[in-house]
Amino acid sequence: MPRVSLEEKLMPDTPVPQFPPLPPVRQWLGPVVVAWLVPGGGHFMLKRHYRGAILSASVLIMFVFGLLMRGYMFEPMTGDLLTTLIYTGGFVADMSAGIFYFMAKWFGYAAPDIAGHTIDYGTKFLVGAGLLNIMAVVDAFEIASGRKQ
Amino acid sequence: MKMNLSHFEATLLFALFASAVLGVVSKSTDKERLRYGLRSFGYFAATVFGLGWLMYLGHR
Repeated sequence: MPRVSLEEKLMPDTPVPQFPPLPPVRQWLGPVVVAWLVPGGGHFMLKRHYRGAILSASVLIMFVFGLLMRGYMFEPMTGDLLTTLIYTGGFVADMSAGIFYFMAKWFGYAAPDIAGHTIDYGTKFLVGAGLLNIMAVVDAFEIASGRKQ
Repeated sequence: MKMNLSHFEATLLFALFASAVLGVVSKSTDKERLRYGLRSFGYFAATVFGLGWLMYLGHR
């Protein structure tokens, strides 16, 4: 059996596969924007209906549970570092739920930020729904750009 | 209408939806997605039980 040196093991002759270059913006921008605005919509647009339905249902149910628990929706706020991080980060995460966030705002949803475990869970469900949608948006981008099936 | 869930119900629901999305976006075949989603849910549930017992024993 031929002996393989450490150098050969660390630097094999076969070239390391390069990450594919970013395709033109028009190829992925549509599905990404739709995926943000309508959770699961990007997958439907890319003909991944089954996965789109699961993503859509998960984000929607989580968001509705958050509303039913009277979760607080963050507004951007500045102050000390922690306040800025929590409130601005929370606002971005809430808004990541797309049309659900905007509809809740349009219909006048404005639960106060008060103590209580149910309200606290509601706040986390609203933020969580947005964060899950960010994962769905990234997945839609990877499918649209040909990096994933 | 207001929903009142216990800590256990809320965390398990959170785990269920997070696992579903993690499973869908993480793997490349349906079988792998299902397995990853179930495994992820199992880890979430185990963490909830573990931390629950830890807090219970810590308060005794």
